[in-house]
Amino acid sequence: MYETIGIWVGAIFTLAIYSFLYKENSIYRLAEHLVVGISAGYGMAITYQITIKPRLVDPLLSGDHWILLIPGILGLLYITRFIPRISWMSRYPIGFYMGTAMGVGFPLTMKARVLRQLEGAMVPLYQSGMAWYEVTGNVVMILGTLAALIYFFFSKPHKGLFFGTGSKIGIWVIMVGFGATFGFTVMGRISLLIGRIQYLLGDWLHVIE
Amino acid sequence: MSAVNIWERMLNIDRRWIFLGIGIVSIVPFFINFGMPVRTTIEVESIYDYVDELGSENAIFISFDFAPGTQAENMPMAVAVMRHAFYNDVPVFMTANWPLHHGMMLAAMEYVFNPTTEGFYQDIDFDDWRELREAGVTAKGDLVDAWESQGNQLPDGAMGWVFEGRDYAALGYAPVFNLVILGMTISIETQYPIDAHENALGEMPMLQEHKSLREVDLTLTCSGSAACEWWITYAREKIGMPVAFGVTAVSATDYFPYLQTGQVIGQMGGLRGAAEYEVLLAENGITSSTDKAFTGMDVQSVAHILIILLIIMGNIAFFAGGFHKKALLKEGR
Amino acid sequence: MKRTVPLMIVMVGGILMILQYFIPHQISQTVLAYYTDWAPIILAFALVLGVGSLTRIHSHKIRRKAKNWQYSYAVLIPLFGMPILAHIWPASLSGGMDSPSIFHFLFMHVQVPIQATMFSLLAFYIASAAFRAFRAKSALATLLLLAAVVVMLGQVPIGELFGRWLPETGLWILRYPNLAAKRAIMLGVGFGMLATNLKIIFGVERNWLGGAGK
Repeated sequence: MYETIGIWVGAIFTLAIYSFLYKENSIYRLAEHLVVGISAGYGMAITYQITIKPRLVDPLLSGDHWILLIPGILGLLYITRFIPRISWMSRYPIGFYMGTAMGVGFPLTMKARVLRQLEGAMVPLYQSGMAWYEVTGNVVMILGTLAALIYFFFSKPHKGLFFGTGSKIGIWVIMVGFGATFGFTVMGRISLLIGRIQYLLGDWLHVIE
Repeated sequence: MSAVNIWERMLNIDRRWIFLGIGIVSIVPFFINFGMPVRTTIEVESIYDYVDELGSENAIFISFDFAPGTQAENMPMAVAVMRHAFYNDVPVFMTANWPLHHGMMLAAMEYVFNPTTEGFYQDIDFDDWRELREAGVTAKGDLVDAWESQGNQLPDGAMGWVFEGRDYAALGYAPVFNLVILGMTISIETQYPIDAHENALGEMPMLQEHKSLREVDLTLTCSGSAACEWWITYAREKIGMPVAFGVTAVSATDYFPYLQTGQVIGQMGGLRGAAEYEVLLAENGITSSTDKAFTGMDVQSVAHILIILLIIMGNIAFFAGGFHKKALLKEGR
Repeated sequence: MKRTVPLMIVMVGGILMILQYFIPHQISQTVLAYYTDWAPIILAFALVLGVGSLTRIHSHKIRRKAKNWQYSYAVLIPLFGMPILAHIWPASLSGGMDSPSIFHFLFMHVQVPIQATMFSLLAFYIASAAFRAFRAKSALATLLLLAAVVVMLGQVPIGELFGRWLPETGLWILRYPNLAAKRAIMLGVGFGMLATNLKIIFGVERNWLGGAGK
């Protein structure tokens, strides 16, 4: 019974939102407001239950983890943002997070997004057993990366053999990349629609498996 | 009526006709059921092969890093890998990087454990097998034997038993998830003293065997945003943890560099990627049939054809009408 | 106290965390362990900022009877109703069919269908955009269009009907030229992230201080 009512409510909201395709209407507006309220409310409930209660409140109440008062007080300082006279105090927890997160992320980002990528761009063009399209692919990949980087390098005018031709090849490579992304984006959007149709025809109406 | 007017009228067609077309091609193929085969790719096969090699002494993470908005793409990936792991008795830790994603984790469990789902797994709550646990029966094979010897019978249609704390732990959401990942490289329990069902993690056999990410064999991040990259940055690069991606089609093309460097072992891109994994599961007898992702591929085919036709028709009207030589018409062409 | 101390916290915290990466000593590991233990607790309170400003905006709308003010109740009621429901029935947080609850119902049967359907609307708009905006006006645009069509057909089973070459070409595009373009972007973004990290740590970038006091 609970599930049945739930699916009916879900189906009615689904159809109500699709009515937006014809014309904007009040049910759509209600739904978009509900989404904001429920997600924030859900977030508050989960955050308290999964993080604040077991990691801060319960240990403090048990009486032997007084050191947790430090993150607790630092966290509470966020709330000063709403008290104009002392709102500057909210900068302390924000500063703590900004600094430490930037520091922690620096070497790891360097490895993940820079060093490994440079390493990945330095591969042998040919190894025994490689098919012709793989060899061609490697050439395209290496020269393409270099050319696309040249295109993004704006400190020099895009003229001459290296910068001029390089940036021209670069934009061609980038366009192929964007084309692939567009193709995948279409695929993704259709997939989301498929999910809803499966819900309406399957879970709700039971006319498909 | 001049020729130009025909093209102009065509280009100015009420977009609701296009909406109707998309609506029709999204519904009709479900009833015709072409069942066109889906060929698997190396990107998905490598995840399947990796998970298939694992056993009860290993453990994996499935991170639910997607919101309801992209569940149509991400959920089948998570469900497929979860089923694969359960089939091989591989313990699964489940996390979420945002509160709504926590809900998606619970929804995935609801689906896999629901008796109305074909090939469901019978879930045993952590409290329900406390006596056996306290008696020291925690190895999966022994646990199933002991459990069944107590008179419990596997329901019809169920693929097997899954014991909370032995086969899975629903850890859920924690704030600043990138730092949570980093913290789990030191201790999982510190980040999650309790799970989403308020069970103490320290009492779970699977946690006692896998205390930190260093003792876990793989993370599959099913992601609808760039959060999947956190697993690369904070787990892969920090401790060398193997990571697999299950990402939305929109972002899948961005992550091919990670595949080529080996920073991710494989990638399921969009519904197609999930469908490939479902095909692999069904072909290898891990599930009796494919699931929602595969079923959706017929619609995907027809819808792509329609969109390509729309592109072609739009271009024909644009060039045949000579609009490429003129200033922009109304509607921003 | 108001500006210098927060800037000092950022600099000291940032440098300390960079250094700890390069010094795998027991002390540095302990610092990291405490840090990763405490940071989620601190940041959990940041949610209050979001909830606070949502409440302020919508209660203001209701008070002023601004346009569509009635809908603000649809934000505020679940915003505070959900945590109250979860507090009254903690079991409902776990969700599931075993413990039906209003909390679970609102998430599973209201939030999920609404959000999923809103995202799926994009399928209709992208089809409309494909017809109206995707033009082969230049050689570059034509290249983009061709790549998109090959990848789109290559990714769906029906593409196989055109022959094996089509999906294979689609995969080749993804694995090589697409990879080259995305790697160049990734490197650019990576350098940008690193530069921003350093600018924040050393106080060059101070926008995060906001306008809270002077």
